[in-house]
Amino acid sequence: MMIVQFLLAMAATASFAVLFGVPKDQFFFSSLTGALGWISYLIFCELGFGVVFASLFATFFLTILSRLFAAIRKNPVTLYLVTGIFTLVPGAGIYYASYYFIMNDMRLFTAKGMETFKIAGAISIGIIFGFAIPQKIFQIRCRKKKP
Amino acid sequence: MNKENEFSRILWQIQDKHGITEHGKAPRRAYFIKRTSVNKTRGVFMHDNKEKLTLAVEIADLLLRSGGEIYRVEDTLLHILDAFGLENYDVYVLSNGIFASANEDREDACSIIRHVPLGDVHLGKIAALNQLSREICGQSCSIEEAWIRLKQCQDMPAPKPWVQGLSCGIGCGCFCAIFGGGFFDAVFTAALGIFLQYMRMEHESRKTSKFMTNIVGSAFMTAASLLLFNLGLPVRQDKIVIGGIVPLLPGIALTTSIRDLFNGDYLSGAIHLLDALLTAMCIAVGVGFVIILYQHFPGGVRL
Repeated sequence: MMIVQFLLAMAATASFAVLFGVPKDQFFFSSLTGALGWISYLIFCELGFGVVFASLFATFFLTILSRLFAAIRKNPVTLYLVTGIFTLVPGAGIYYASYYFIMNDMRLFTAKGMETFKIAGAISIGIIFGFAIPQKIFQIRCRKKKP
Repeated sequence: MNKENEFSRILWQIQDKHGITEHGKAPRRAYFIKRTSVNKTRGVFMHDNKEKLTLAVEIADLLLRSGGEIYRVEDTLLHILDAFGLENYDVYVLSNGIFASANEDREDACSIIRHVPLGDVHLGKIAALNQLSREICGQSCSIEEAWIRLKQCQDMPAPKPWVQGLSCGIGCGCFCAIFGGGFFDAVFTAALGIFLQYMRMEHESRKTSKFMTNIVGSAFMTAASLLLFNLGLPVRQDKIVIGGIVPLLPGIALTTSIRDLFNGDYLSGAIHLLDALLTAMCIAVGVGFVIILYQHFPGGVRL
């Protein structure tokens, strides 16, 4: 099941990478970022962290991964981060929140709406934590690999 | 007069190393043209500070237009200006504008203000410009070469329409499957995703407001899924919509805004955050509108 999810997430991220004009030689890495981010989200969910914390940890992992790829491949971080983050953005939350709002089900609307906001906040904090790690660490690792 | 003309003129000057006095159209920036014209006696290209500043700002402009963060744009500008040996320069970048000045205290002081509308995200351009600015800073790229390469970056094509449509369709289908849709759901979502991308491209070419594009796109997705559901096909309506609205989601705006805020560019971060929130609201409005209509339809079943 995980393998299927991994492949699907990879295909999904790769197709969005095409849409955003990512250079051809970076397709593999950006799709790998997205797929690993999604798998880590699933794993954190299975470990019982809840949706919000799973999003936070997965985004953190995703950010570190994309910074690592950026250092190795000498490309801007944006290339990997932007395409990878699409798997974690709470689209389902937006849909269900607006659906319950229209259905006048205020209890479920509040629950879903708050959850969506929390996930968005968790993604922000995950990215911020990911970027708080000093750049030097990535560069050292990159230098070690080169010679 | 637009930037295209300006560019072709500069390129022409570079490629044709003779004196240039005749232009088809009257140049708007007469000063700029005069100062960058070829020195006839020596046949050497003269660079003055204005041209260097223009080159740097053009690079920053394209970078910002294709979706770079403020921090990257500002950093690139400062590094390029430093590499060109300008003095006393200063830059200020917003998410839709660039202000730059150099040599403030000297006679040839120059400054540029640019308005940069939020454009299409093209990450390939960002990568290419990053490489270009890196080479300029490493002094391994002359100014003429930089102009030509900037032109190449600008002309970097967006993916072909059918490629865009197909990739959007595949993406939608895969996301539908990831979020719990079955095989049928994914196939239908993929077909709808192709339509959606063509619709968005049509909207873009007509310069429709981004809000309308999002509202219409999510409304179309919801309507199509309800239609499929009512035709009696074995589909799960909510999964189709969730997969289908993924291309509309403000993932890029959200990421960029967080990074801008984190780097201390509060104004630009707030602009992008507002963009993300409004986009999300537009999607919700599009979905909700169709569901309300559906319920007031004679024979509309309560979902």
